[in-house]
Amino acid sequence: MREQELVIVNALGLHARAAARVVRLLSGFSSQATLEFRNRSVNAKSIMGVMLLAAAQGARVVLRLDGPDEDEAMAAAAALFERGFDEQETA
Amino acid sequence: MRARLSGVTASRGLALGRARVRAPHVVEAEERRLSSEAVEPEIARLVDAIRFTRAELAALRDQLQGALAQEVGEFLDVHALLLDDPDLVSGLVEMIRSGRYAASYALKLQRDRLAAVFSAMEDPYLRSRREDLDHVIGRLQAALQRGTAEDDIIGLAGEVLVADTVSPTELVPMVERGVLAVLVSRGSPMSHSAILARSLGLPMLIAPAEALAAIPDGVAVMVDAGRGEVIVEPGPEDLADLREREAAEAREQRSLVRLRVAATRTRDGVDIALMANAESRDDVARARQLGAAGVGLLRTEFLFLQRTEVPDEEEQYAACRDAVLAMEGRPVTLRTLDLGADKADASGIALPREPNPALGLRGVRLALARPALLRTQLRAMLRASAHGPVRILVPMVSQREEMLAVRRHLRECERELRREGHPVGAHTPLGAMIEVPAAAFALATLLDTMDFVSIGTNDLIQYLLAADRGNDAVGALFSPLHPAVIRALHEILAACRRTRKPASICGEMAGDPQYTRLLLALGLTELSMHPANILEVRAAVRRCELSALRRRAGALLRARDRSAVERAVARL
Repeated sequence: MREQELVIVNALGLHARAAARVVRLLSGFSSQATLEFRNRSVNAKSIMGVMLLAAAQGARVVLRLDGPDEDEAMAAAAALFERGFDEQETA
Repeated sequence: MRARLSGVTASRGLALGRARVRAPHVVEAEERRLSSEAVEPEIARLVDAIRFTRAELAALRDQLQGALAQEVGEFLDVHALLLDDPDLVSGLVEMIRSGRYAASYALKLQRDRLAAVFSAMEDPYLRSRREDLDHVIGRLQAALQRGTAEDDIIGLAGEVLVADTVSPTELVPMVERGVLAVLVSRGSPMSHSAILARSLGLPMLIAPAEALAAIPDGVAVMVDAGRGEVIVEPGPEDLADLREREAAEAREQRSLVRLRVAATRTRDGVDIALMANAESRDDVARARQLGAAGVGLLRTEFLFLQRTEVPDEEEQYAACRDAVLAMEGRPVTLRTLDLGADKADASGIALPREPNPALGLRGVRLALARPALLRTQLRAMLRASAHGPVRILVPMVSQREEMLAVRRHLRECERELRREGHPVGAHTPLGAMIEVPAAAFALATLLDTMDFVSIGTNDLIQYLLAADRGNDAVGALFSPLHPAVIRALHEILAACRRTRKPASICGEMAGDPQYTRLLLALGLTELSMHPANILEVRAAVRRCELSALRRRAGALLRARDRSAVERAVARL
């Protein structure tokens, strides 16, 4: 079981496209995954759940993973968050 | 009988065709309970429908190419993920199994439950994602009814489809079949279908359901989606009108093409320098194609973002050099790093979090706090100056000491490079972005430290009006037409004129043709903008008579509120 706080850095926050990237990434791992924000906990492999968290820029969310590939999954997820979900932003 | 209706433009264009009316899907609203033997087969039907819809989406993805694929492909991904969403699907299976509901009723319940959650969201962007949910559910319902009801009508060649809504997945097959336009009663110009229709060049209009209901199947309809107009059973005058509009559109297209090579010159013969804001190779190439007089702002942040390490001198030099070479002798203004704590996390620069990044360690402040970073950039830029005319621009300047310090670093880097045998341009002007109000107000005390200025209106206006344009609550306060902005621009330009320092403008205001006359009236002769705006602004400049604009500029400075400024601008 692994748990880590991640920050949302991109301007649009965890909107539909970003949520899609998170869900696609985590769905590739067998570990169960949940995301928590402001006392709401959702299945991190559910696009509906992740979008409905409505986490905006600056939000701190907690990702919990449980399964055989949890370390790998956490590393990949943390990197994705740090990269702002690979969003193209215009200055 | 001839009838006229109006609606909202979702995608511009003209069309003349036969109406093809598609009745909205009637979803089973009854709670029809299934017999126990029918449960498993119903689940199988649902699974089948999901598989079919998934294939539909995949087919659409395959058909999209190039830039369209990029734009549209991502929201299709969201649709595909919705289909695979464990919450969505498992809930459905459970409802059919324990509630013994028909699949389409279960879908309706699930959709209503989720839609309620979306509607309760505060964020308008997220609220509008409900549309994605509806599209997917709509396709699933259609897939369930496939084979039982009549096949989905998406229209044939020469037809104008009249429907309650169209899903993005239907648009490409529609265009391929030769459907000429689409009229819908639900949706918005911001919907996915509208975005896709615009990219496909398919005219689309949103009109009230009652109005569309009056269109009989099979009659001739004439659509001018750009004007938001539909004429049912057009008469000979309408048709003549249509021909004229089509001819006018064709002429406009041709003149846009001619505009690429036209001079950016006012009616009274004054040349205005139209430059491009750029960051990628594509931007620079486009700028050349559209006849930009140079690059007025080359952003360098992109080299740093989404990286874990800082780009080295070679990489930065290569990027700057490529831009300079691509402009073939036209001037290129390179801007030093304009990053702050908010974006620095996404780059290889470690910075402590700031509670107020807009007022924090960013731009030249960050550069001077990290001199090694600054010098690497300056070295890269100086080396690029050997390949063509280069200027260096420093962001967020607020005091003399900053410019003097950067100039010191620049001189030292130049000496270093010459010692090392690197060719460097003979004279590289160093200028400042005027965006911090302190620099604007005290410009007279700073001008001797800079060779030129570039007015950064995006941040200048935000700082001047203390309004975050991204904040819905106060976004409306942000206006280039606030008297403070007009006066600031006037003062900045007056100070530059007095000291004969070249001035240009590089914020969004520069690329908005509705402000072109204003900027010229205030005295600007160099504008830098996103390549996409170059043609329109050039057209606006060519319509101007500069001496008249300058004469009428006085009224701008006497205006006491936004409406007065707007009136003065209208009279320019």
